[in-house]
Amino acid sequence: MTTVTLENTNYKDEIRRKTSKPLMWVGIMSIVMFFGGLTSAVVVSQGGGSFLTIAMPQAFVISTFVIVLSSLAFHFGLISVKKGNHTMAKLSVGITLALGLAFVATQYMGWVTLHDNGVYAIGSESTQQSSFLYLLTALHILHLIGGLVSLIVVLVKTMKERYTSEDSVGMQVSLTYWHFLGGLWVYLFFFLRYSIA
Amino acid sequence: MSTHHHHAKDFLFTYIFSTDHKMISKQFLVTGFLMGFIGLIMSTLFRLQLGWPGESFEMIELLMGSWQEDGVMAPDKYLSLVTMHGTIMVFFLLTAGLSGTFSNLLIPLQIGARDMASGFLNMLSYWFFFISSVVMLCSLFVEGGAASAGWTIYPPLSALPQAIPGSGAGMTLWLVSMSIFIVSSLLGSLNYIVTILNMRTKGMSMTRLPLTIWAFLLTAILGVLSFPVLLSAALLLVFDRSFGTSFYLSDIYIGGQVLEHSGGSPILFEHLFWFLGHPEVYIVLLPALGITSEIISTMTRKPIFGYRAMIGSMMAIGFLSFIVWGHHMFLTGMNPFLGSVFTFTTLLIAIPSAVKVFNYLTTLWKGNIVFTPATMFSVGLVSTFISGGVTGLILGNSALDINVHDTYFVVGHFHIVMGLSAIFGMFAGVYHWFPKLFGRMMNNKLGNIHFWITICCAYGVFFPMHFLGFAGVPRRYYTNSEFPMFDNMIDINVFISVCAILAMIGQLVFFFNFVYSAFRGPKAPMNPWKGNTLEWTSPVEHFHGNWYGEIPAVYRWPYDYSKVNANGEYVYGEDFIPQTTPLGDDEKDGGEH
Repeated sequence: MTTVTLENTNYKDEIRRKTSKPLMWVGIMSIVMFFGGLTSAVVVSQGGGSFLTIAMPQAFVISTFVIVLSSLAFHFGLISVKKGNHTMAKLSVGITLALGLAFVATQYMGWVTLHDNGVYAIGSESTQQSSFLYLLTALHILHLIGGLVSLIVVLVKTMKERYTSEDSVGMQVSLTYWHFLGGLWVYLFFFLRYSIA
Repeated sequence: MSTHHHHAKDFLFTYIFSTDHKMISKQFLVTGFLMGFIGLIMSTLFRLQLGWPGESFEMIELLMGSWQEDGVMAPDKYLSLVTMHGTIMVFFLLTAGLSGTFSNLLIPLQIGARDMASGFLNMLSYWFFFISSVVMLCSLFVEGGAASAGWTIYPPLSALPQAIPGSGAGMTLWLVSMSIFIVSSLLGSLNYIVTILNMRTKGMSMTRLPLTIWAFLLTAILGVLSFPVLLSAALLLVFDRSFGTSFYLSDIYIGGQVLEHSGGSPILFEHLFWFLGHPEVYIVLLPALGITSEIISTMTRKPIFGYRAMIGSMMAIGFLSFIVWGHHMFLTGMNPFLGSVFTFTTLLIAIPSAVKVFNYLTTLWKGNIVFTPATMFSVGLVSTFISGGVTGLILGNSALDINVHDTYFVVGHFHIVMGLSAIFGMFAGVYHWFPKLFGRMMNNKLGNIHFWITICCAYGVFFPMHFLGFAGVPRRYYTNSEFPMFDNMIDINVFISVCAILAMIGQLVFFFNFVYSAFRGPKAPMNPWKGNTLEWTSPVEHFHGNWYGEIPAVYRWPYDYSKVNANGEYVYGEDFIPQTTPLGDDEKDGGEH
């Protein structure tokens, strides 16, 4: 078999630049459908008649502010990269990561509150709505962990000043995902607030 | 590095962990066919039980061991086989095997790209598929046997490990396997969509895309939008099974014991499952329809009739497939008004489907038809799409469906319209693009024998099932011999089983032809069918990158066949004009009008 690598055409870089963002957007669509399925399940279950409400922990309200702030910080980081201000970019991405971790912490605090109030995720004392509440928030965190990993990669690259005003595709892809996670949480928060809590 | 090491590494990355879309296509094809063959053997085994209930087939005991003690199939094993047959055929053969093979092979080659958007994700997609196949097959050998709740795995049978033997470890492995399968499907779909939208060669506008590519694009979109919902359904099921939640369970007694689950509903699962389940029909069918469009046009030497209408009808089918899931649930106590809404949306699908059939027939009409096995299977698809679609009108109508719900009528309907149509499309695709896959030609005579055995036996199997359904024979039952009212149906069941056995033997002809031709078939020319699309401009030998030098540019739509001038002579001296031929001054692009 003839082996032609075509490395000299440099087409792989071009493909990466052209396709990274669309790949992320289509991936986001599938995550939207995943959570769409689950939140629809909550709506269908509400029709069952035995659906009770749960008090939403205060920590989840704080989570909402934290993740919105982190999105703004990350966005500011990209603007800084585009303006060539690497110092501000490093600071912004660092703050984003710190806020991302703070979000996880506030979510954990929320679960502790729920547990202390006798709201359980699984087991015989759990109810359908308590299980949904834990599951939806946990699945969001699971997706957020992917975002945090990408944030760490972006932070390392920002520290090394790899992103430039001409090529910041990797950072833009990570930012898109982070904004999406923020939006997803805001949706989940209000959805849970008005359907379960 | 030693030469030996170098060769080992070359082998590993060329044949095993390849990122070349053509190799990945072959991997999907071979794995899909192996899974399909296993599914086929399963169906033959349970047809033996249905044709001759309680008869002893001692020969089979050698193959089945304790599943067939004294030559008689055990009832729980029958349920496992039915479940695994459905799962394997729908997902592993007709979803991954069909889409994975032809989307991978044709998308880069027909749009003019060197490879997929992400070769790495593409490779992962195959390996996730492979792992899910292995896990699914392993589930046959665990305690209690494979999953037995039907391919739709409705709770509570699937949600309670203690419900039936197949609800235990086999069901757990089913869920693990399908979760991995969904990841594979999503990775593949991501790649297909982004590659088609972003990596087309110069001149390849959306209205110059072959209909295969349109079909693969819409299939991938359906997959991205529907498989995550199945994943969410499976996740809730896992929690109910293993962590004591009550998403789908309420007020259950097993063995006199009341379970602690309360508040859930199995109907919730049905909603989530069928939100995937119905688009899944078109995930299976659309690639086959796209393949058929391409083959019928090429082999009749005529432009496809109604190119834009074909695209529009596929879009309409794709859209409608998301708002019809309730027709699978007419008997769940659904509000009759809601049922009539689902009836309306379901019957609407007949319109774009009829447009497609009309366009196939008008393309065939007065064509210079070249009768290859690919042509025959394509025409076979048109036949099954019609005969299976007509019975869909009955099942889509809530008032009529209630009479035949969960009977063999349903089994006959979906096997013809979805199963046969999709597998006919897949066979057509393999015969047509075999030269591109393996650089060799398949044997046409064996192909024709394969076609006639398959279509005769397939109709022999599934057509009489409609009569069984009208008589009220329920699907999924191990035997109907306990019900005197079905005694006069036994001859039909014998006939069906004989046809099923003959159909299986017929597939051996195909497998022989496939394997022999892949190694010993005559060498293929670059463009054996005189096709217009770009894949026939790439060299026969495979290499990563598809074209030496520049990727060819495109100047016209792909269906300029038998184009004649005012004197009745072929415009360019041949009855086909490749997409790479620039438009003449007085020519219009076919896709633009």
